[in-house]
Amino acid sequence: MASDDDTNLLVIVVDVNPIWWGQQAQREPQFTLSKCLDAVMVMGNSHMAMTRTNKLAVIASHCQDSHFLYPSKNWKGGDGSGDDASSSGDGKYELLSVANNLIAEEIREVMSKSKGNSTDTMLAGSLAKALCSADDCALQYMNFMNVIFAAQKQSVLIDACVLDSDSGLLQQACDITGGLYLKIPQKVALAQYLLWVFLPDSEQRSQLVLPPPVHVDYRAACFCHRNLIEIGYVCSVCLSIFCNFSPICTTCETAFKIQLPTMVKAKKKKLKPMS
Amino acid sequence: MDEEPERAKRWEGGYERTWEVLKEDESGSLKATVEEILFQSKRKRVIESHGQVRLGMMRHLYVVIDCSRSMEDQDLKPNRLTSTLKLMEAFVEEYFDQNPISQVGIIMTKNKRAEKLTDLAGNPKKHITALQKAVDSVCVGEPSLYNSLSLAVQTLKHMPGHTSREILIILSSLTTCDPANIYELIKTLKSLKVRVSVIGLSAEVRVCTVLTRETGGSYHVILDESHFKELLMLHVKPPPSSSASECSLIRMGFPQHTIASLSDQDAKPSFSMSHLDGGGGSGPGLSLGGYFCPQCHAKYTELPVECKVCGLTLVSAPHLARSFHHLFPLDAFTEIPEEEHHGDRFCQACQGELKDKSVFMCPSCHSVFCVECDLFIHDSLHCCPCCIHNQSGP
Repeated sequence: MASDDDTNLLVIVVDVNPIWWGQQAQREPQFTLSKCLDAVMVMGNSHMAMTRTNKLAVIASHCQDSHFLYPSKNWKGGDGSGDDASSSGDGKYELLSVANNLIAEEIREVMSKSKGNSTDTMLAGSLAKALCSADDCALQYMNFMNVIFAAQKQSVLIDACVLDSDSGLLQQACDITGGLYLKIPQKVALAQYLLWVFLPDSEQRSQLVLPPPVHVDYRAACFCHRNLIEIGYVCSVCLSIFCNFSPICTTCETAFKIQLPTMVKAKKKKLKPMS
Repeated sequence: MDEEPERAKRWEGGYERTWEVLKEDESGSLKATVEEILFQSKRKRVIESHGQVRLGMMRHLYVVIDCSRSMEDQDLKPNRLTSTLKLMEAFVEEYFDQNPISQVGIIMTKNKRAEKLTDLAGNPKKHITALQKAVDSVCVGEPSLYNSLSLAVQTLKHMPGHTSREILIILSSLTTCDPANIYELIKTLKSLKVRVSVIGLSAEVRVCTVLTRETGGSYHVILDESHFKELLMLHVKPPPSSSASECSLIRMGFPQHTIASLSDQDAKPSFSMSHLDGGGGSGPGLSLGGYFCPQCHAKYTELPVECKVCGLTLVSAPHLARSFHHLFPLDAFTEIPEEEHHGDRFCQACQGELKDKSVFMCPSCHSVFCVECDLFIHDSLHCCPCCIHNQSGP
């Protein structure tokens, strides 16, 4: 049972890459970005409804930027004094309706302001921002790993809910921090998976039967060919990994000493006289 | 012995007017000064980056702990030995966190002898269990610097040239009992490129000053327990490597973690090689999955480890990734007083309001952060959250 003064902060990072979602809308019209966000809001609302002290943050991770959907900077918030937009007619808990409205507004802003042609999502940046608020590739890989180690030190669990293709980085993140990694077989049931697998906090998870851990590939990729290798050579200065021995490290340009076997001089043995 | 310029001793200096630090404002309150002191203590651990200096990433460190009679003194609570061992546990954890491919060994010295508590190993659990058991040991006799140093050197001299060889001595006694001339040993240490540092618990001892000066280490004497912790943590960061250390390519293996379940037909239970020497501890020795050495297929339950059968060092890629932030350190952020900052009133990282005396700006992307986020970014995160967005994706 959680103690009364524990605040649980849940940060949901949603990948809103417009290119992927655009293609997805054509592939499967019954599961679009708005349905995905509905499921995310259901999970956020459930988390806040479970205990009064639970807190929520939602970040949209975009191609060039990541944006806090909730709590928003522009929201002075708190007691909703004189704010008639927050009161909804159906008697819903005010905090939840404020959250829902804010999220919807912010996501509209984000999607309309998107520009640029890059197709990769800046996941490391959103995770970094998520960690700062919980205070309480070759270069993106390094930043991503820094973020994962910082999360592990702070005992922050990172869970991943994958819609399309497996991601080795996310698998490593979940394994190192102790979270759950799940690739969803049926996307339309996203809300169900979110509520069943990811909503319980870490203490309750030990009592539930959850999907088994996946096999994580921890092999390193060599810097020269990007192949996954099992035995490699590591430069002692800059820690770059190579698949073959080479006399110069390409990253830090140090020349290596080659270890030669020591020459043993042949010793003349005195023959013992036969007695 | 060459003469070095001796620092002026503390009793030779003039009086320190410590009352001048506290200043009252017009209404007579000390609030501003107190806030300033708190602010400075938050910023105290800002790391000065060494710049483009080669660091020794693979370290072999021996820690020598004094267990002589002076360790029963109660000026550190409950007594010096218990306090030291507790801080050592925290040190070992932090050390393996920052240097995952390094090794540590512990030596205890008492009764004019030295003995190894744990051998050089890369697994923190072994050291922590040994430290916890050592709390009950009896403190008796005098320490021997010569014996502990020669015991450590016996192993360190066989280590390959590209690793750094270090010894950290925690000395509380003011005396040492040596069987031979320690200055000869110091010469040997210097020729073997071993760096010795000392943390004194009582007072400055001349032989330690000479020892650390000759070998290139540091010597500090503690003021109180929190100062002790700070001094210990100074040794967690990798030191700049000496110019004489060789650089080489080290052959390492990256084993796969196999998780076999009972329903798997081919899964056979097997022992891990680390159980051979009785180090298995609690729990059954047989397990289904584990890490298999790519060269000889010996099984291990944890990484990093050196394979006992074929001698290959086994690590996983995240272990190497943990050390990257030492190689690419994050620049310190520029401090701007709050009045001069005219942009957003919100910290870019945690979205909280900026209400401290000064804000911190990243020199490359010019985003502002509050004091706590600045500390967190430099201590744990090692990357600016806004700079990441400005880099093009892979």
